[in-house]
Amino acid sequence: MTNERVTAQILAQFPQLEKDPSPVKDYPTLRLPDAASLLPVISHLKDSLGFSYLDMVTAVDWKGPVDPAGYVREERAHPFQAKPAAAAAAKPLPGAPYRDAFTLVYALSRFANPLKIFLKLDVPREQPRAASLARIFRTADWQEREVFDLFGIFFDGHPDLRRILTLESLQGHPLRKDYAHAEDRFDR
Amino acid sequence: MGVALEKFPAICGVLPGGSGILTTADAFINWSRKSSVWPVTFGLACCAIEMMAAYASRFDFDRLGVIPRPSPRQADLMLIAGTVSKKMADPIVQIYRQMPEPRFVISMGSCANCGGPFHDSYAVLKGVDKIIPVAVYLAGCPPRPEALYYAVLKLQEKIQQMKIGHGAGAAPQQERGSRDLGAP
Amino acid sequence: MNTAPAPSRSELKTDQLFVNLGPQHPSTHGVLRVGLTIEGEIIVKAEPDIGYLHRGIEKLCETRSYGQCIVLSDRLDYCSAMTNNLAFCLAAEKLLGVHAPQRADALRVAMCELQRIASHLILLGTYGIDIGAFTPFLYAFREREMVMDLFEMVSGARLTYNYIRIGGVRADVDAQWVARTREFLEYFKPRLDEYDTLLSYNPIFIDRTRGVGVISAEKAADYGLSGPNLRASGPAYDARRAEPHCGYEKYPFDVITAESGDCWDRYHCRVREMRQSVRILEAVLDGLPGGEILAKVPKIVKPAPGESYAHVEGARGDLGVYLVSDGGPNPFRAHVRAPSFLNLSILQEIFLGQRMADAIAILGSLDIVLGEVDR
Repeated sequence: MTNERVTAQILAQFPQLEKDPSPVKDYPTLRLPDAASLLPVISHLKDSLGFSYLDMVTAVDWKGPVDPAGYVREERAHPFQAKPAAAAAAKPLPGAPYRDAFTLVYALSRFANPLKIFLKLDVPREQPRAASLARIFRTADWQEREVFDLFGIFFDGHPDLRRILTLESLQGHPLRKDYAHAEDRFDR
Repeated sequence: MGVALEKFPAICGVLPGGSGILTTADAFINWSRKSSVWPVTFGLACCAIEMMAAYASRFDFDRLGVIPRPSPRQADLMLIAGTVSKKMADPIVQIYRQMPEPRFVISMGSCANCGGPFHDSYAVLKGVDKIIPVAVYLAGCPPRPEALYYAVLKLQEKIQQMKIGHGAGAAPQQERGSRDLGAP
Repeated sequence: MNTAPAPSRSELKTDQLFVNLGPQHPSTHGVLRVGLTIEGEIIVKAEPDIGYLHRGIEKLCETRSYGQCIVLSDRLDYCSAMTNNLAFCLAAEKLLGVHAPQRADALRVAMCELQRIASHLILLGTYGIDIGAFTPFLYAFREREMVMDLFEMVSGARLTYNYIRIGGVRADVDAQWVARTREFLEYFKPRLDEYDTLLSYNPIFIDRTRGVGVISAEKAADYGLSGPNLRASGPAYDARRAEPHCGYEKYPFDVITAESGDCWDRYHCRVREMRQSVRILEAVLDGLPGGEILAKVPKIVKPAPGESYAHVEGARGDLGVYLVSDGGPNPFRAHVRAPSFLNLSILQEIFLGQRMADAIAILGSLDIVLGEVDR
């Protein structure tokens, strides 16, 4: 079964889905309209279409260029300069698809007739919540914990949602574009 | 052994020609210490693979007397090989404190020296000498096993300079990191 | 004499003990901490605690140019740096819409297969040490040093090469390198039989690893396992066959699988994969095309806004890189789908009911690298 046939099958079953305008290159990418459609679509893909392997759960923060305050840079004065040069904030690029939202990106694979399909779901910044896939795919457990740790997106129904990678005392979610690092006892 | 070494300089000090005995004792004790530097097996990241290569067939570390010990209680050298993330900082201090004196630290690789390629990360400690005192800094990313040899040989030179007259048979042991100027 | 009778087994008061496995431990292959609650010898609860090597690489990529990100990618799975470079470069090339020339592709395949041999040799050596056999470590690293010599000839580095670049590879190989590689392959083939004699069919090793840590095919797919961990349980999923890249479809090799999914199968899949890597290497060297090694790529890489995903068969599993570009010189988002991160998640289930010693055997057989787990 080729990409097009599978995509057509899925779109026939779930007419509210649409093909993503900026797809992941060379892979079929579908955009979910709302958070409520996530679980039914994933279940259908796993049970009926044979996509039994969840490759990847990740998120993208589309807010804008990354804030230099999120990096711990020791500003030291150059010998010939009066004061240290501050890290320049990156200018927003024209034509870049910035918007004030997160996008959750899911990648599912199939072993027989190998095929990979990407699903995207936009999540608002003020109340970032999505349904957890941990009951359908056990691998989503740790990946969703990582997304929660680094972006702050909550997953409803997750068995144990807590930070997995960062330090306990870290405040904030580091991979957000507006993350500003608060100095801790290790930075002095 | 440590108790005898503590009393030894005081006893020798009152004897005629006592300092001569001390010098010979220094030479003997330092020779025995530097010829059997036992590191605790403590690899963090990529530098650990080069450290393992230094223990392995081609660069056999055993000929210098360097045998890895799994427990810090039986080791006198800690090779910080790899990036020190902030989460790992407290365990490192705990392991350092478990080592009996005299104890040494070789900071191996750029990450342990100063944070390395990850120096501007929110999660990386900029140099392990912020938390523990370092005897030898070894640059490289990762340093070759031959460079690690050089660092151990430099450490042996440092051990050669130790004098038991300066306290308990050990060089003055700091409790704070070499760069830790702010801690009380 | 007033001696009370010994308490019967049911009257004995037992307690559970909480033991930390790591972060400093000879067998954790890096800084991993597993909080084990044990009752006697049996583990009743296992909580992996990772993040002791979290360096924030995904955040750092957002202020580094694409070329500088390749340097960071080396340090992810540091035992298998060439495949990390390759995954990142393939994703960036998809964004740019360039293809590496044929000679570069062949060299990439050669380097990745040599890297696979080097990485599996590390597993062989360290797994032996975990089980208690020290000698295979020395043998494995002797061969590994030869592979590192080959890498040093071509890239200048022993561990973190920064060799595979966007559009091709950094430097060409000469006839001397090809001759030395052929020499190495001839020397290496009988060594694999030596390892089988020394370790694989050693009765003590088989006792320690056969039937231990069995993972079924469904559970492996459910937990997102990949690489030899998945193939040892049955599914023949290999990224080199599923989505061939860099010309892998031209080279003959078998996808190694096994049936029972226990520790011995996972270990032996890797040993047999080394043989297949030798096959691929011989095919590459026999048919090495001439030509350029680097395609025309702009000096400052600024792909048009878009997203791409590229995955390769790393030594540990299916390594994927998801890149998002906003048109600027730095990646807008770089996510690494790390196989070791997902392989490790099965620990919380697979440790239950095992003895402590078997737990070490299982952890070693998963062949994790903490640089990739924590990024």
